[in-house]
Amino acid sequence: MPLRRLFAVSSLLFLVTLAVSPVKNALRPYRFIQREFRDLGMSRATSRKAMELYANRPVAIQQIWLRDFEDRVDRCTTCHLGVADAAMRGAPEPFRLHPATFHTPGGFERIGCTACHGGEGLATLQDDAHGVAQENIAPMTPATFIQSGCGRCHLSATVPDAPTLSRGRALMERAGCYSCHAVRGHDAYRSEAPPLDAIAIKTGAVWLRGWLEDPRAVDPNATMPNFHLGADDILALSHYMFGRPAPDALARRVAAAAGEPLGDPATGRRLFSESRCISCHTVDGKGNGSAPELGTIASAATRGWLIAFLRDPHAFNPRTRMPRYNFSDGDVRDIVAYFDDELRDFDAPADVLEPLRVNQTLAAKGATLFRNAGCGSCHASGPASETEKFGPDLDGIGDRRAASLDFGRRRDLPQTLTSWLVAKIESPRSFADGLRMPSYGFDADEQRAIVTALLAHGAQAVPEKLRHSATQPVAMIPGGRVGELFSRYRCLSCHQIGNRGGDTSTAPLTFEGSKVNEEWLVDYLLLPSSLRPILPERMPILKMSREEASLLADTFEKFYVDPSIVEDPFAGRAESDRDAAEGERLYTTLGCRGCHIIGMAGGYYGPTLTEAARRLKPGWVFHFLKNPQGWRGDIRCPNYALPDTDALRLTAYLGTLGSSRDAAAPATGKESTR
Amino acid sequence: MRRIGPTLLLAVTVLPAAGCGRVGADPTAAAVAPPGGAYELELGKSIYLAYCATCHGETGAGDGFNAFNLDPRPRDLGDPAFQKSKSDENLEDVVRRGGAGVGLSSLMPPWGHTFNERQIEEVTLFLRSLERD
Repeated sequence: MPLRRLFAVSSLLFLVTLAVSPVKNALRPYRFIQREFRDLGMSRATSRKAMELYANRPVAIQQIWLRDFEDRVDRCTTCHLGVADAAMRGAPEPFRLHPATFHTPGGFERIGCTACHGGEGLATLQDDAHGVAQENIAPMTPATFIQSGCGRCHLSATVPDAPTLSRGRALMERAGCYSCHAVRGHDAYRSEAPPLDAIAIKTGAVWLRGWLEDPRAVDPNATMPNFHLGADDILALSHYMFGRPAPDALARRVAAAAGEPLGDPATGRRLFSESRCISCHTVDGKGNGSAPELGTIASAATRGWLIAFLRDPHAFNPRTRMPRYNFSDGDVRDIVAYFDDELRDFDAPADVLEPLRVNQTLAAKGATLFRNAGCGSCHASGPASETEKFGPDLDGIGDRRAASLDFGRRRDLPQTLTSWLVAKIESPRSFADGLRMPSYGFDADEQRAIVTALLAHGAQAVPEKLRHSATQPVAMIPGGRVGELFSRYRCLSCHQIGNRGGDTSTAPLTFEGSKVNEEWLVDYLLLPSSLRPILPERMPILKMSREEASLLADTFEKFYVDPSIVEDPFAGRAESDRDAAEGERLYTTLGCRGCHIIGMAGGYYGPTLTEAARRLKPGWVFHFLKNPQGWRGDIRCPNYALPDTDALRLTAYLGTLGSSRDAAAPATGKESTR
Repeated sequence: MRRIGPTLLLAVTVLPAAGCGRVGADPTAAAVAPPGGAYELELGKSIYLAYCATCHGETGAGDGFNAFNLDPRPRDLGDPAFQKSKSDENLEDVVRRGGAGVGLSSLMPPWGHTFNERQIEEVTLFLRSLERD
């Protein structure tokens, strides 16, 4: 009898066990969510047909299978049913329409969801999919850092439609993160920080102490972060740095320059302004700010050093972006006289530039400190291989799990990667004692941008097929004499050529020969006129010789040419296309004068067109007018979608402005547009 | 036997209950989320600052650095009366076709061939956020 009862019970148990799985499946949360979506869709449907579509939706798991993307399977659309459904604009989550971006709604099938949003694509339970349930599954990327997803595939510094990511990448470059942290693709990075061999012949102990206490308090443009050094450490470091022997050649130059008489400050002030130093530097905060503030430069560096440095900056810092102006000996003495007269800190103690009498014990302590603090990572004078990357490798940081991170003392933080990263950037030393990362003083927006850029460094590179690099042509940088001039005048510090160069200038030089007339360019290099009066950043008067200017202009004319830009856009066109009067009428009706100056009238935004004929080649003008953004992606001139005839007439009109090309042939080097 | 009974009971009653609990929680939590638009607004702002603020000013007051050259002066976009008098379609239309396209000053250029439709929507969304109280 007990046997039969046991049999009955075990049968029942068996049946129930069998039933568990189908019951569980029938009660999967997504089924309820899908039914809710059906009801919502029917309530929002505007036609009977749409209503039927919602009503007849099968209840089933939805998935996107990405064959080209590591065979990922994203099942997010099982619950997020409205991502591509225009009727779901503003609907409650999880049904809301996805915001339109460059890749959505068109790219769902190619990119899926987890590539940008993170999370666990295969999961169909909310907590598992969003990665909040367990520590070993991928968490979602918070929406505020979502542009990190763009950065996984888009590797170039600037990514259109991803301003936060682009800003983060620019900040990391400028702050010099790659000096201490190894990051794929940035192996060749070198900080611009000066080698420190010549500090003893440059400045004094008092100035150095202030600088080491907080570089940004001395110079708001400083890129050097705050190392939070104590008074003892600063003293030891100072003794070490003043104890380092300056290279003989530099010491001799500085000593010789120190004995020279000062020149005329008034001439110096004029030279300073003509040289457009504030295109990079600032004086009392006015200027670009990518190079040091010069408002108190005479109290920061000795007269001898300033004179010797201005004559040949590259001898003191081979990595500097500063050009080597072709100043005469007298010019430099005049400029330094101006510094001495006006650009000094009148409250500074008299001994601000006095050197330190070195105590060897302290210097030895300073040497250890110098090594341990990692000063050499930015300031090393040798090749890149000599710099030590002792910060942790940042490759794959974007896929680190919170459980693998050391939160140290920061028990207050949520256990997530993003909050850890933000806190690391905000106050790196709050995690534990003895940490070496300095503080950069980034504000909240900058922190967000940098964390966005960091999260873009995944554990694995995305497949080649999905990777997207800049479409810029590889920069052509010549060798020989022209290459020397490029380097001497540091063209690439401000101008882009192909995929290289800075963005201080709005004029890329990649196809300069197709754009401007050679004769104009020679004159411009000798005596640059202001093309964009509103910008503080202007082309400096580098004082190059006519021979140098001709050589550079000739190189641009011959080699920096886009074959798709024709020389003569009017060839084979009707005579009426050359109608300059009609072009002038177009210039007015299109509102060009809102941004461009001709003569004395017009807006201050675009380049002045007073001498357009002398400067610009008609082929380029036509090419530009047809598609301004094709010339440079971020150009602000709107695309008016001009028909060929209108673009040609406008080109013809601009061809009448200023002296014509032929008339300008005997160039005098004088211009009067300023 | 005594041990199996309660386990069975537990299996039959608790399993579905647990499932139901999950189902109930999720959509409710989602329903209180704010409507979309924050991301589009951010993109719209970056477009506005790059292309429009030159004349219209960072706050939309019509005081950008290039504004003093212009006659008529750029519209004060923060003016509540102006904001109320225009529909989104009106604003998008001016962005797309420029002042000349809607019978106003040609100094406001047309952006319809520079931005795509999505960007025009984004910048319009941002224009709406400029309205002063």
